[in-house]
Amino acid sequence: MSFDGLRIALSSLQAQRRALEVTGQNVANAATEGYSRQRVGMAANAGTVMAAIHARPTGVGQGVTSTTIQRSRDQFLELRANQEHAAIASLAQLDGTLGRIELAFGEPGDEGLGAQLADFNAGWDDVGNRPTDTAARRQLVERAQTLVDGIRQIDTTLSSIRANGIEELQALVVDVNATAVRVAELNQQIKVAITSGLSPNDLLDQRDLAAASLATAVGGAVRPDGNGMLDVFLGGTALVRGSTADTLEVVEGPPPANVLSLVWAKDDQPAGVTGRAGALLTTANDIVPRYRAELASVATRVHDDVNAGHVAGFALDGTTGRDFFVWDTSGYLALNPAVAGNANLIGASSTATDTRDGSVARGIAALTGAESTYREVVVRLGVETQTAARRVEIQDAITSEVDNARDSSSGVDIDEEMTDLLLYQHAYDAAARMLTAVDESLDVLINRTGVVGR
Amino acid sequence: MSMVAQRVTQRTLNARVERNLQRNVTHLSKLQEQLSSGRLISRPSDSPTGTVSAMRLRSEIRRSEQHHRNADDGIGWLGTADSALTGALDAVRRVRELALRGANASASAPDRAALAAEAGQLREHLLSLANTTYLNQPIFAGTANVNQAFAADGTYQGNAGAIGRTVGPGVTVQVNVTGADAFGSLFTVLANIENHFSVNTTALNTTDLTQLDQAFLAIQDSLAVVGARYHQVEAMADRSEVTRLDASNRLAEVESIDLPKTIMDLQLQEVAYQAALGASARVLQPSLLDFLK
Repeated sequence: MSFDGLRIALSSLQAQRRALEVTGQNVANAATEGYSRQRVGMAANAGTVMAAIHARPTGVGQGVTSTTIQRSRDQFLELRANQEHAAIASLAQLDGTLGRIELAFGEPGDEGLGAQLADFNAGWDDVGNRPTDTAARRQLVERAQTLVDGIRQIDTTLSSIRANGIEELQALVVDVNATAVRVAELNQQIKVAITSGLSPNDLLDQRDLAAASLATAVGGAVRPDGNGMLDVFLGGTALVRGSTADTLEVVEGPPPANVLSLVWAKDDQPAGVTGRAGALLTTANDIVPRYRAELASVATRVHDDVNAGHVAGFALDGTTGRDFFVWDTSGYLALNPAVAGNANLIGASSTATDTRDGSVARGIAALTGAESTYREVVVRLGVETQTAARRVEIQDAITSEVDNARDSSSGVDIDEEMTDLLLYQHAYDAAARMLTAVDESLDVLINRTGVVGR
Repeated sequence: MSMVAQRVTQRTLNARVERNLQRNVTHLSKLQEQLSSGRLISRPSDSPTGTVSAMRLRSEIRRSEQHHRNADDGIGWLGTADSALTGALDAVRRVRELALRGANASASAPDRAALAAEAGQLREHLLSLANTTYLNQPIFAGTANVNQAFAADGTYQGNAGAIGRTVGPGVTVQVNVTGADAFGSLFTVLANIENHFSVNTTALNTTDLTQLDQAFLAIQDSLAVVGARYHQVEAMADRSEVTRLDASNRLAEVESIDLPKTIMDLQLQEVAYQAALGASARVLQPSLLDFLK
């Protein structure tokens, strides 16, 4: 009889205790974001197989060793989840922007630009009916002013949506730069830990969580480098490589386009971003400028149509050839200041002398081009917003599926942990019993053997 | 431990329940928004095609209202012209009687003077009828910038300009007749008659009478034209009212909620939400911990 039994029991006690601790850690982090459940890897110690001169191996193993503490994590699912989260972040951002643009237009309703255009047209009819009535003329000037203000108000709201987007992007980039540095630092710590033979599971979790937030913010591909470190690439250029991180910057181009871009601080080259930053760039460079241009096309239509009729009209004082609308210094549609100041200069008549003729005004009232141009704009906006909302819904479903799959591999399940707890506890109890058994056997051998006739 | 099927953890369950409840609440809030605003479409993305219909119908309603206003104004013009011309016919008829009495050889000089005086008054009356205004605009002056269609001596100061009213999509109706058309040389004839009572009684029942009858016919023609246009404008006014009502109804169909249906939907959604809450409470509650001692 050797003392092997004691050693085996001891190794088991140690291994089970470690497993119990890890189970405790899992339960403690059941709700921690980014935490991956951990498992103690146990391996049976093989017995000696080499025969010696005075000893022959018994063939019995030498107990158990807890080799490693493994993170349960599927790298492929992680990459996939990062991509899907980048996509949902981008789509949700776009959806939000388009929703705000819809609010700016305020259609369909009695207060939108459509109603203002209709009122403006009706005003021309009233002037056509009473060309010499100053009240009708004043009313038309007021309605034209309301229309002009309405267009300007929508445009201002659109501009502020863009400005807010730029501010958001700047805040986001500050955050991204800080997170990139954090990923690089964690990479360094992980490398040191692994070199020292430790299992830096919790550092890995933190690092992966930070990398995932980078993916949501700017997209990008994550690649493990084989030494436990993680590189983050944006369109082929490394944002994080090992323990170093690069910096991004927001740059606004020259007017009039003011193209917004995200560039590398080191060489001013554009960075290939997606995710939320990508959506914010799209907002600033595509969506808002596009709807401002659409609005401008409505203004141009109003300007051109009304002026084309109006230049041929004669004012009450017999003058003619006057524009009704002009473009002001900032490029907005505005009333001709002369007409705005003196409503009698509205050219309603088709001849210089016949002031009671309102045929020119009635002709302008019959123009409906601007209204239909405007309706087209609103429909395009509606369709684009609806599409964006549907894409968000679909992407949301995809994202939650991927999250579930990821959780399925790395999430903590309380029932499972409880079962493990029972298993390890029973194993611990049994190892203790084993210790007692060996102890008792030795007691018999040492204290009670060879005492015959004593 | 092998992984055959997908592991479902408490977090998975939580996330799924959260998502489903969120979706339920979103539906509920959408329905509540519809009920409280009474509108099915409150932004273009709710229904892009519905939005364009709603906008088109709103514009149609506004336009019909304006056409109706234009027609009302036209009816004012034509109605005023109608009563002025009817009055003019009566007056001309009376002048004709006076002329015939003046031409009678038995009439004495004082009689003729009295007839001449009455003819003069009728001339003034006719002049004021020809200068009738509607909202301060002389209705028989065409489009000319004058305050009276005829001067005190009976000369026409207006022009041949037409005054139109847009009473329907692409429909413009002329709502005036010019003084030249309606009254022509009436005032010259009247002046002649007034003079001829004392100097040339034979002319009274020959040339004067012929000319007066021509003037009468001209007024009658104008009256017929005014009457026809009056009916046209009135019909167009009715039609724009019908168009407006029709467009309003269609707008309500496109844009407003179906109240009973929406209330039913809301109740169904509430039941669904409560069921989801109940199910969630049951699914999330138990764990192995409840059964370990």
